[in-house]
Amino acid sequence: VGGRGGTDIISTVEFNHTGELLATGDKGGRVVIFQREPESKNTPHSQGEYDVYSTFQSHEPEFDYLKSLEIEEKINKIKWLPQQNAAHSLLSTNDKTIKLWKITERDKRPEGYNLKDEEGKLKDLSTVTSLQVPVLKPMDLMVEVSPRRVFANGHTYHINSISVNSDCETYMSADDLRINLWHLAITDRSFNIVDIKPANMEDLTEVITASEFHPHHCNLFVYSSSKGSLRLCDMRAAALCDKHSKLFEEPEDPSNRSFFSEIISSVSDVKFSHSGRYMLTRDYLTVKVWDLNMEARPIETYQVHDYLRSKLCSLYENDCIFDKFECAWNGSDSVIMTGAYNNFFRMFDRNTKRDVTLEASRESSKPRAVLKPRRVCAGGKRRRDDISVDSLDFTKKILHTAWHPAENIIAIAATNNLYIFQDKVSSEMH
Amino acid sequence: MECALDAQSLISISLRKIHSSRTQRGGIKLHKNLLVSYVLRNARQLYLSERYAELYRRQQQQQQQQQQQQQQQQPPHHQHQHLAYAAPGIPASAADFGPLQLGGCGDAEAREPAPRHQLHQLHQLHQLHLQQQLHQHQHPAPRGCAAAAAGAPAGGAGALSELPGCAALQPPHGAPHRGQPLEPLQPGPAPLPPPAPAALCPRDPRASAACSAPSVPPGAAPQAAAAASPSTSPAPASSPGFYRGAYPAPSDFGVHCSSQTTVLDLDTHVVTTVENGYLHQDCCASAHCPCCGQGAPGPGLASAAGCKRKYYPGQEEEDDDDEDAGDLEAEPPGVAPFAPCKRARFEDFCPDSSPDASNISNLISIFGSGFSGLVSRQPDSSEQPPPLNGQLCAKQALASLGAWTRAIVAF
Repeated sequence: VGGRGGTDIISTVEFNHTGELLATGDKGGRVVIFQREPESKNTPHSQGEYDVYSTFQSHEPEFDYLKSLEIEEKINKIKWLPQQNAAHSLLSTNDKTIKLWKITERDKRPEGYNLKDEEGKLKDLSTVTSLQVPVLKPMDLMVEVSPRRVFANGHTYHINSISVNSDCETYMSADDLRINLWHLAITDRSFNIVDIKPANMEDLTEVITASEFHPHHCNLFVYSSSKGSLRLCDMRAAALCDKHSKLFEEPEDPSNRSFFSEIISSVSDVKFSHSGRYMLTRDYLTVKVWDLNMEARPIETYQVHDYLRSKLCSLYENDCIFDKFECAWNGSDSVIMTGAYNNFFRMFDRNTKRDVTLEASRESSKPRAVLKPRRVCAGGKRRRDDISVDSLDFTKKILHTAWHPAENIIAIAATNNLYIFQDKVSSEMH
Repeated sequence: MECALDAQSLISISLRKIHSSRTQRGGIKLHKNLLVSYVLRNARQLYLSERYAELYRRQQQQQQQQQQQQQQQQPPHHQHQHLAYAAPGIPASAADFGPLQLGGCGDAEAREPAPRHQLHQLHQLHQLHLQQQLHQHQHPAPRGCAAAAAGAPAGGAGALSELPGCAALQPPHGAPHRGQPLEPLQPGPAPLPPPAPAALCPRDPRASAACSAPSVPPGAAPQAAAAASPSTSPAPASSPGFYRGAYPAPSDFGVHCSSQTTVLDLDTHVVTTVENGYLHQDCCASAHCPCCGQGAPGPGLASAAGCKRKYYPGQEEEDDDDEDAGDLEAEPPGVAPFAPCKRARFEDFCPDSSPDASNISNLISIFGSGFSGLVSRQPDSSEQPPPLNGQLCAKQALASLGAWTRAIVAF
């Protein structure tokens, strides 16, 4: 699928709470929603494939005249609201503005008006001889999307994350230095709950990189920092949650110290497990699982692509070291997934401690093709299909991945292509 | 960790990134610029440590030479002083440092007042020289070589120009000098004891012997001896402790100055480390700084931070509506921001600029062998061994960068 200047590069991927819908946002400000086809007996092989459901322009480029700054229309995050009626709702955000979109279906329309004809033209009254009651007739499905709320002017810095609270009434948005709490129905004000901006900007040492509400406790949320720490905050404790309830931080390994230690320790994504007991973080080279009850260090650390540790200089030069990879839990919190380079993505089974590297490419995505595990060879013995570190394509990066909330279905965004993989062999949870 | 780029290349790359971020769509990315400033600071620390290590190495050599020449003239205790300086195992080359071999050295080293203090004075001398150069007037501070050289301004200035300042700290040669803090360098150096570091003074063979040891006040000797003894620990430990005093390692964050930011003035390309709003040399000279343990507070120290015009990543935000858009194009990206002649001097004295050569050849091999989808290495004159002149070094780094970034953009 082509695009002008890469405006169709996917920038976020998110399943809704049932997994029936999958939303993607792109660099051009568009949102594309996919819907899973219901399984039918007629086509038993194509059970539950995803087709385009709706496409709309969520954000447009803007210009801040006061600061002479262009505001990108790129969609940074999409979060679905829990469904409360026939309509679906989602929040989408760019750097500055969050919007609430309502998605409704229309599959019937009224016919048989007395005063209008089929095309809507007024009838000549002299031709009306009897009255009829209009009837609803089925029509082709039409999906309508409308912006219901626009939450603007809440952020000075760039918004990096949004998270809907389990109370279904509030949500939070985080930028580099502040986190705001909004009510879904109120757009003209928000509460600031975290502010780490120093009095003197020269004293700035860290920024907020991601944040998320706890899945069950509506008073708890976590935010990650560029220094690699996590702060769990309790909104019941104080109105301003600058003081954390818990600080999760792993001491730095001095033997790994380098010019780029600060960069590679910056957390790019944080996700609560479905159970609410654990947190998953991603930094440049690893994913880590944290237990909420243990602040001193993560309980598990997985190396995503440690062979890059000796390449950090080059990755700094070409800016790849600043790539922000996301991470994801599966529905049962037993497997974690994250993306890498060369269109590779990695999965780690927490129980068996086995991991696999897979590739999202056109060759591997033929229908019903089985993904072949890949291996990156960092020197030493090389097998036939191994890829050497030096031939990795660093322009092909998988930053955004999502896992179906219940089944083994994953969505992988590879630049401007979306891959959806289903595990049909074993769809039960481990 | 092996790094194919030397500190100076990293500095120039980082400055380039910061500069180009100002024109990127969507505004300045605070997070990215903060991370780049960390790299800048780390590279600058290593750069400085290399320079100071080189300085000490040369001092040792020269002292040993002088020792042989002047054996009959020296009273014994001065000889002892020289030996004391020769004793510590200062690493002979920057390679001994590795990128930031800072951890594990221990804060005890950092708290040793004497060697760090001398480094502090060294840095003060450097700052002093900058002001001499730029303000064109004799600075009355009687410090070591500065005093000795005062009688011979040309030679003294020449000697002082050997001082290896971080090139990134120096404003472009001849550029109007903005806001360098003068307070810590005032006369009345109550914080600073009499100039023990005459021995620290870099020995330019062409300079007069004004800086030779006989002029060292006796009061300095015990201090020098005191300096020597703590430094007899193993080389990698002593040297990081040595320079860490003036430029704390990131692991020192929690020690005293709890927050440290490297800021870049895009007008003068002065890169400075700011701690709690103060420049660190101010901090060390003040009473607040526990790691230095040095004496009297200077009256105007705290305001030093206010004197500087600084760039920081969030400068465009609401608090700073008066940001001058003229700052944005301070210098064209291709211009090397370092003072060429000073670095050239240093490079002339440094026979093994091979670190540069090997680093560049590492770089060539990395880009030649890999990242095939990303970079097309253009065979051009930058394959030559790097010249000794630091200015060309920086310019080459920047020029060759252009080829790679063009390739990246084309992709």
